[in-house]
Amino acid sequence: MTDKIRSQEEIAARVKALESMLIEKGIMTTQAIDRLVEIYEHEVGPQLGAKVVAKAWADPEFRERLITDATTACKELGIGGLQGEDMVVVADTDTVHNVIVCTLCSCYPWPVLGLPPNWYKDPQYRAAITREPRTVLKETFKYWIPDSVEVRVWDSSSEMRYWVLPQRPEGTDGWTEEQLVELVTRDSMIGVGPTAAVA
Amino acid sequence: MAPELERPDATELGNARRRIEQLVSDLPGGDPAERSFDQPWQIRAFAMAVAAYQERQFEWSEFQLSLISSIRDWEASGAREQDDPWSYYQHWVAALESVLSGSGLLSEAALDEQTKQVLALPPNRNHHGPHREPIAVDQAR
Repeated sequence: MTDKIRSQEEIAARVKALESMLIEKGIMTTQAIDRLVEIYEHEVGPQLGAKVVAKAWADPEFRERLITDATTACKELGIGGLQGEDMVVVADTDTVHNVIVCTLCSCYPWPVLGLPPNWYKDPQYRAAITREPRTVLKETFKYWIPDSVEVRVWDSSSEMRYWVLPQRPEGTDGWTEEQLVELVTRDSMIGVGPTAAVA
Repeated sequence: MAPELERPDATELGNARRRIEQLVSDLPGGDPAERSFDQPWQIRAFAMAVAAYQERQFEWSEFQLSLISSIRDWEASGAREQDDPWSYYQHWVAALESVLSGSGLLSEAALDEQTKQVLALPPNRNHHGPHREPIAVDQAR
C-alpha cells in the first residue's frame, strides 16, 4: 500500500473496510477494538473541549467568538480537525438546554470531544433522544432538566457538528481556567449530563 | 501537571494501558510522542493491530518486522516530503495488512474492493448538508 499516496479520506475508508472485514471473519470483535480505543481515548479525548469551555467561562469575549464561529475560535487554542467540518457550539442558558445527536450515524466533533462513546452510536439513543429528549435524559442518563427549561436536540451531520457549551457552575467566582477545566465533563458537552460538582 | 497526577494510574484501565505500552515500547516510533493520534482512523488502526495480536493472529515480532520494513521502504524511496509525506500510521496500517495477508487472513484485492465500497457510500444522501435548526424541541412546561 505504500506504492501510492492516500488522502486522509482514502486511508480512513481503508481502515474502516479492514475493520469490517476482520470482524466479519471473526478475527476480532467490535467490543475488543472499542475497549482498546477506550484505553487510549484521552489522546484525542474530551480534555480539549474542556479547555475551550473553561476559557469561554473565564473570558466573555472568547465566549462570543466561540458562539459566532466555533471552528475559528478553537483554532486560537490550536484545536481543530483536518477534515474541515464546521463546528457549532450551542450555549445552555437558564431557559434552554441543548443536546447533540447524529441521527444517521455517529458524526461527532472529535477534535474537541474525542471519539464518540458507543451509546452515542447506538440506534436506540439516536431515535429516542429525538422522540422524547426530556424523558431520555431523565431515565437513561439520570439527568433531570427542570420543566421550565426547553430542551433542544441538534443533529450533527458530516458538514456541521454541534457541541454544547454548558453553563458555568455557580460558586466558581474568581476561579482560574485551570480550576474551571476540572468541572467540565464530556457528558456536559454532549448535553446528557451535568458539569462536575463544585467542591 | 500536579504531582498527584503523576502517580502511576493503578486502575484497571491504567494497568491495561501499561501492558500495551510495554508491547509497543520496542517498536520503531515506540516513543509515546510518536504514537499520539490526530485522526480517528489512527486510533482504530492502532487498536486493531493490538486486538489481532491478542487474538493470537500473529506474533508481535512479525508485526514489528513488517512495520520496520514499511518504514525502511519509505525511507529508501527518497521520501519526497511533498509527494509522500511521513505518516506513522500509514506504515502501521501497511504493516497490519502485510502480516494478515501473509498468513492468508486477508486478501488485498478484497480489501481494495471493500475500500471502494466505503468510499462510494455516503452515510446518507441528505447527510452531507448542515442541519441548521434543532431537530427536536421539548418545550418548557
